[in-house]
This record gives sequence, structure tokens and C-alpha cells, in this order.
Amino acid sequence: MNIWIESLLAFLILAGASFTLLGSIGLARLPDFFMRLHGPTKTTTLGVGAMVIASAIYFSVSDPGISLHEIAATLFLFITAPVSAHLLAKAALHIAQKPVSEEDRPG
Amino acid sequence: MIENSPYAFLLPLALLTAFAGVLLPLLAESHGRKLAAIAAGAVMAVSLALLVPLFALVVSGQTVVVPVEWLPDYGFNLAFRLDGLGMLFTILILGIGLLVVLYAYYYLPDKDKLGRFYALLLLFMSAMLGIVLSENLLMMVVFWEITSLSSFLLIAYKSEAYESRIAARMALVVTGGGGLALLAGIILLGQVAGSYELSQVIAAADLIKADPLYPLILTLVLLGAFTKSAQFPFHFWLPNAMAAPTPVSAYLHSATMVKAGVFLLARLYPVLSGTDAWLISVSAIGAITLVYGAYMAMYRDDFKGLLAYSTISHLGLITLLFGLSTPMSVVAGVFHIINHAIFKASLFMAAGIIDHECGTRDMRRVNGLFKLMPITATLAMVAAASMAGVPLLNGFLSKEMFFTEAVLFTGFDSSHLILPVFATIAGILAVAYSARFIHDVFFNGDPVDLPRQPHEPPRWMRVPVEILVLLCLVVGMFPARSVGTLLATAAGATLQAPLPAYDLKIWHGFNLALVMSVVALAGGVALYAQRATLIRWNDKLPSLNSKTGFERLHRFMAAQASRILAWLDNGSLQRYIALLCAFVLIYGGWASYRNMSLSDASFSGASSSPIDIAAMIALAAMALGTIGTTLLHHRRLLAVILIGIVGLVVSLTFVRFSAPDLALTQLSVEVVTIVLMLLALYYLPQTTPKESSRLRVGRDVLLAAGIGGGMALATYALLTSPFSTISDFYLQQSVPGGGGSNVVNVILVDFRGFDTLGEIAVLAMAALGAHALLDQLRLLPPKHDSAGRQWAQEPHPLFLRMLMQPLLPLALAVSVYIFLRGHNLPGGGFVAGLVTGVALILQSLAGGLSFAENRLPRSYPPLLGLGLAFAAGIGLVSWFFSRPFLTSAHGHFHLPLLGDIELASVIIFDLGVYLVVVATVLLILSELGKLHKGEQT
Repeated sequence: MNIWIESLLAFLILAGASFTLLGSIGLARLPDFFMRLHGPTKTTTLGVGAMVIASAIYFSVSDPGISLHEIAATLFLFITAPVSAHLLAKAALHIAQKPVSEEDRPG
Repeated sequence: MIENSPYAFLLPLALLTAFAGVLLPLLAESHGRKLAAIAAGAVMAVSLALLVPLFALVVSGQTVVVPVEWLPDYGFNLAFRLDGLGMLFTILILGIGLLVVLYAYYYLPDKDKLGRFYALLLLFMSAMLGIVLSENLLMMVVFWEITSLSSFLLIAYKSEAYESRIAARMALVVTGGGGLALLAGIILLGQVAGSYELSQVIAAADLIKADPLYPLILTLVLLGAFTKSAQFPFHFWLPNAMAAPTPVSAYLHSATMVKAGVFLLARLYPVLSGTDAWLISVSAIGAITLVYGAYMAMYRDDFKGLLAYSTISHLGLITLLFGLSTPMSVVAGVFHIINHAIFKASLFMAAGIIDHECGTRDMRRVNGLFKLMPITATLAMVAAASMAGVPLLNGFLSKEMFFTEAVLFTGFDSSHLILPVFATIAGILAVAYSARFIHDVFFNGDPVDLPRQPHEPPRWMRVPVEILVLLCLVVGMFPARSVGTLLATAAGATLQAPLPAYDLKIWHGFNLALVMSVVALAGGVALYAQRATLIRWNDKLPSLNSKTGFERLHRFMAAQASRILAWLDNGSLQRYIALLCAFVLIYGGWASYRNMSLSDASFSGASSSPIDIAAMIALAAMALGTIGTTLLHHRRLLAVILIGIVGLVVSLTFVRFSAPDLALTQLSVEVVTIVLMLLALYYLPQTTPKESSRLRVGRDVLLAAGIGGGMALATYALLTSPFSTISDFYLQQSVPGGGGSNVVNVILVDFRGFDTLGEIAVLAMAALGAHALLDQLRLLPPKHDSAGRQWAQEPHPLFLRMLMQPLLPLALAVSVYIFLRGHNLPGGGFVAGLVTGVALILQSLAGGLSFAENRLPRSYPPLLGLGLAFAAGIGLVSWFFSRPFLTSAHGHFHLPLLGDIELASVIIFDLGVYLVVVATVLLILSELGKLHKGEQT
């Protein structure tokens, strides 16, 4: 396999892994519900997206033909992540979770 | 001896006609009670006519046996037999049956439709015929039980009367219980003899008598016979069964039902008799019953009760005669069966006429009827005289034979006195109660305060009595010419040996038996004359009311049974599971303790696959998930999520061990289960109180640890023990035999298709169960959650709905794809059904239940049925190609668009599986959705 492609794959996988790790740390560490919601949704979308692209490139190069499974995976990811984030946010609003900033704000 | 004549087929045909005819009176009923009676009579007449051609064969000394193989491996064949004994009983059953049909038509009130009565009577008659025409003893027991059941229904014919129901239940408990003992006895007998065919059992008689099980067999068989024939101490059901309408008594309690017991004694006489145990037990019980019944009969004020006790006494006499086991006593016993049936049936019918005309059966009120109904009175008096053993009547002949045997018998004591004295006492008592019946009812002053004004009954009601009384006279005067042949044939068949020399005539010269008869007649009349003293004396004896005693025992047992049941079955699911687990633990522990071979083999250390880190993590996740679910079960939402984790890890494990079918199935099952559970959670209370005491938690922990540890050990033992599987066969045969390369699917739908059919049937039943439980249930969902927050009233998010709608065709396409490729690649009807289910659940979650409901079928049970019909139907198709059920066919096809495709007939079967799964999922979903409908509107 071409060194350039290998470097590209390595970069994509590392970037994806880093974003996923960051998202997980964010989920654990951020101060309130709404901030924590950003972790698994936004950053994970980017992280997993990078890995999916890496997978697509790898299998397209190593196996005959272009690998298209990953496009389906991406598609489903892009549908489910915003929808679940949306529903979680709505539920949080309903049960009156307060953002930190509002709690801190005096009066 | 055994002959297969060209007419032998008539034998099973007659029995079939009788059983098939049971429904005729019910059908005829709507055209009037007369037609119902004619239908019943016709069925009996046709059955008799079918058998008559065979009688000539039987009389010439042959036995007709018709074997029809059914379950030969279990010794259960439909084997029929007609010999002399069977012929005698056939004539009694059908002949008296015909008279009873005629009699009942007039006896039962006009408002009764009679269809039910005649149907039951025919059922009983058919079962009796079955008993006497069975060659296979197991078949005989089956018919025996049918007589118990149908007599229960007949005795309780007047079911609105409490007395009738109690009496019927008592008769059923006693005779049915005896039937169970008989079944056990016959099974043992068949085991010892090596066959249940009567001919072979008779041939093995010596073997049976020498077997150590013989005493047990004898006891069990005698229990059956004695309960049925109302022998002491099981006699008490018979007097109470007089609550039955008189035609039933005349039929069941004179000629048939109670005679089944003595028939059994006669039938098994060649097999079981000839030992001391038989001699002593049978003759002693018979003798006690003979005297006890006669004594009790004297004190009945109810004349039907008097007849009942006299029946008990006469059955005791027959039993005693079979017990004595000399050839001549058997002839006398068979002869008395005939005579007793004739005079007792006519007496019961006469008693029924009197009851019918007077409205009461109390002999203290029914007096002097000779003036009011002279013809009936004369008939009844002749029959009663026969019962008493007056010369020139048939009862005299068999009684004389009995006296002769009593004198000649030398088995009991050296002085030869006990039996003759006993016989004479019984004779005296019989004369006394007969005298009481005649004198009290027909003479003895005038009737006292009768509810009705008695007069002669309708002409045709008396005809059956006239025929029977005529028979009494004919047999009494010309015995050899009238019943000589029948008696010789029947007695010969009973003995299964050459007949002794005997002479059927009235006058045997002056001998001891004649003296005994004279003493009995004179003594009986004298005893009756002294009746006032006797009755006073008898009143001082402690009374033994069998009816209340039995009823009390019955109630006591029923109460105890419900106490045990209330303890075991108190509606607590926890208790059921605890009991089940404890039983499994004890029984499994005992079994593995007894059979250590499994555990011996298991710990020898066959190699297992190496454990890697991923597997360890998966195992840890599963263990944590399970423990978490248990510990957090009070927080239901969390517990459900933890269950989901366990399920996901299990499906990953399947992936790891290359079982993609299982993984796919597990994943989709998991999704469906969790979603449905979450929906159900909505209706449960928000918080769960702590319900279990510490003690109970301890018990449960112990039980759970035991079961879990046991299962782990068993699994370990199974996985590590060397054993050969049939997997190789499946792997080799999958493509050539099943036409598919996905072995899992081929096993499911082809090799073990019957299993799958059973499984989807269970699934469909479970769905129907959910339907039954939830269909009419309406619950008020909680207004707010545990923290007091209101449920959201917002509409379903548009965002979600818009995104989910395009997913539906996509998901359905996936499920079709999975379904079609199932036979060769991972997939199949089950997974496809689950995928469809998930897709539809998603739609209803996104759009709301009412959104989904408007677009989906309303009723799912028909869909379940359709699925099962597909699966079973394709199985039936293979019958048309004369192949076994569920044989598959497969072939290679070229279809447009899809290209070359391997199609197997099992795809229809798989379609059935698919439909059942989809219907089950959607049914539960829609039932859960409907639960809170009432509140929404």
C-alpha cells in the first residue's frame, strides 16, 4: 500500500479517535446537561465520520471495487445523531434542567 | 376355537353403529320425543341385527376375534371378541335396552325432550357393549370408564335435584376409583402375560398365577369388579343411585352397569381363579354382601331402595358362586346373571309404574294397590316371587343350583355346615323382603294419603314388564328349552373348559337343596310375620348412614385439597418461580448425585477455546449488566437499559463465534423486547416499594445461586465432555437434502421443521394470551412521574416523523432481502419478521400510536392464524406427493430481475414464520397502545 495513503489513513483514524475521546471526556466532564449533550453528538459525529472515511478508503484500495457500506453507515449516523440529540434536549427542557449559566446568573 | 369367519367384520361394525348412533336421538329430538325414542330403539335394534349372524358361530363353540392393529408397540390394538359370555351379555344389554327405551318413553314426563336422555342411554349401552365385546383388555378398561362417566350423567338426569347430583357424584367416585384400580391391575396383568389380548392372557394363566405380582393384580382387579358390582363395603353407592329415573335403574342397576363387575369376574375367571386367594376373597365378599344386602332390604321403607339392596344381595350371590370356583358353581353364577337380570328389570319397571302412578315410593303409604291396578300388581308379584325363589319361576332354578353347590362344597370347614347355613339364612331373608314388597304394596289395607289417584298405566308402558315376566315363567318352566343353549355357551366361555354334566329341570327329587328351599320359604314368611318385632330391634342398632358419611369424607377431602391448592397456587408469581426453582434444584441435584457419570466426564479437562481480552471484557459486561439489573430492579428504567446491555453483548458474542444468524436474531429480538418493555413500564407505578423481607431475600438469593451455579456446572460439563454431535450430518446434507447452504436456516425450516412449527404455534399462543389479557383492559396512566412532574403534552416531534417515514420502505426492503436470502445466507423468516416489526414499531413511536393504528390492520389474531396456516399447509402439501409431513422440495429457477435463484418449498413455511412473528410483535404493540385509550378521549 502506498505510503501516502497509509499516512492519510493514519491521520484520519487518529483524528477520529481523538475526537471521539474528546467527546467522551466532554460527556463526563462538562458542567451541565446541555453542554454534555454536545459531546456525544457533535464531536462523535466528526470522530466516527473520520473513521468511516478511513474505512472506505482502506477497503476501496485493498479490495477490488469501491467500498460503499460506509456511506450507508454515515447516512444512518447523520439521521440518528441529530434526532436523538433533539429528543434529549426536548426532554431536558420538559423536566426543567437548568443550564449552569442561568443558575450562576444573579437574580 | 378361534375362527375368522367372513362375517367377522360385523362385530366392529355393530359397535361402531352403536357409538355413531349416540347422536341420533339428539338430532331427532327437534321432531318430537317420539322420534327420539324410535331413533334410540333403531340404533339398538340395528346393532343387535348386525350381531345375530355371528351368534350361530358362537353357539357352535367358536370364538370370533377381530384384531385391528392400532398401536401394536404398546400392546394397544382395537381387538374385538365375541364368545358365549359376550353373546349372553350382548343379548341382555340390547334386549333389555330395547324394553327400557319403550318404557322410558312413557315413564319420563311429557315436557322432557328425551334427546339428551336417549343419547346418554345409548352412550352407556355402547360402552357396555364395548366392555363385553373387547378382546383387548386395555380397550375394555376404556369402555369401563365410559360406563362410569355415562352412568354419572344418567343418575344425575334430574340434575336440578340436589339428591341426584350427590348420588351421581358418589357413584362416579366409587366406580371411577375402582376403574382406576382396574386399569392398574390390567396393566400389571398385561405386563406379566406379555400381551393385553384376552386369548393370550388366558393362555398365560398358569404363568400369571405363579407370578409374585399375582396377589396385587388380583386385589386391583377385584377392587374394580367389587366397586362396579356394589359389593360390600363399596355397596353404598347403589341405594343412593336410586335417585336416578326408574328406566335408568331398571337398565343400569339390574342388567348392565352392576353386572359389569360380575362380567369381569367371569371374564377373568380362567385367568385368576383356582387359587386360595381367589376362593377366599371372592367368596367371602360375596357371602357377606349376600346376607348384608338381604338384611338391609328388609328394612327399607322405600320400595325402590328395597330393590336396590336386593340387587346388592343377588350380586353378592353371583360373586359368591364365582368365588366357589367349581365348574358347577360357575354355571349357576352365569344362570343367575340371566335370571336376576330378567326378574330385577321387570321389578324395577313395575316399581317405576307404581311410583309414577302414586307419586311416592314409601311403603308405609303405598298399600292395597291390588284393587286399583290388578294387572300390574299380578306382574310385579310374579317377578317378586321369582326373586324370592318360588318354584316354577326362573329365580327358583338358579337358587336351587346355589343351594346344591352350597351343600356339595367342601372347601371351608370339615363339617360342611357354614355354607349351607349361610345360604339358608340368605334364602330366608330374600323371601322375607320379597314378601314385604308384595304384601305392603299390594295388600295391607288401603293407600294412605297418596299424592295421586293410582290406576293402571298406559298399555305400552306395561308391555316391557309383561315380556320380562313372561320370560320369568318360560325360563322357570322350560329351562332347558328356553335358555339351555345360551347358558351352556356362556358358561363354557367363562370356564374355558368342558362343561360339567348338569340337568336343567325343575324337579330333582327330594334332596337337601329342596329342603333348604322349603325352609327358606317357610322361614321367610314367618320372619315377615314377625316384622314389627324385628323393626323395633333393628331401630336400636346404631345406624350407619353411608350417604352423610361419604359426603362428609368427600367435603373433608375437597377442603383439604383446596387448602393445599391455596398454599401452592395463591396467585403469587414469586412463589411459583421459587417452587419451580426449588424443585429443579432438589430433583436435579438428586439426579446428578445418583448419576455421577456426567460430572465425572466433565471435569476430566477437555480443552476449551483460549480466552482473549475481548471475550473477558464481554463476559465482565454481561455479568455486570445482570448483577446491575438485579440490584437496580427498583429503578425500572435503569434496569431495562441494563438488560439491553446484556442482550447486545450476547449478540456480539454470537458474532465472535461466527453465528451471524443468531447475532442478527438476538439483536432484533433485543430491540423489540426493550421497546415493548419501555412501553409497558409507562403503566407501572413510578416507584416500587420494598416488598421482600430479609428472610425472603435470603431464600431467593440461595435459590438463585443454586440454580445459576447448577446451570453453570451443567453447561461446563456439557461443553467439556466429549460427545459426538449430529452437526456433521446437517452440514453434509444441507445442500443436497435441503437445497440451502445456510445450515441454520435449513435446520429450522426443513430438518427440524416440525419443531419450528411447534415453536411458532407457541409464539402465536403467547400472542393470543397477551391479546386476551390486554384486549379489554383500560388503564389510567399516571398523571406525573415520581418527582411530581407532568408528562409532556407536546405533539410528536415533526423532525422525527419526517425522518422516519422514508426509513420505512428502506427497512421493509431490508427485511424482504433478509427473508429471501435466508436459505443460503444469514437471514430467514424469523429475522425478517423482527426487522419488519422494528420498522413498524419505529413508525408508531415517531408518529404516535394513533398514527400507526390508522395505517395498520386492526386485528392480529387472523394474521397469526394465516401464518400458522401457511406453515402447516405447506407441510400438508407433501402428503399429496405421498411424502411425510413437511417434506421439502427445492429446485433451481431463473427469475426476471432477480436472476438465478434456488427456491425451496420451505420458503412458504418461512413465510408462515414471518407472518406469525410480525403479527405477534404488532399485536403486543397495538394492545399496549390501546391500554390508555379511554383516558385520551
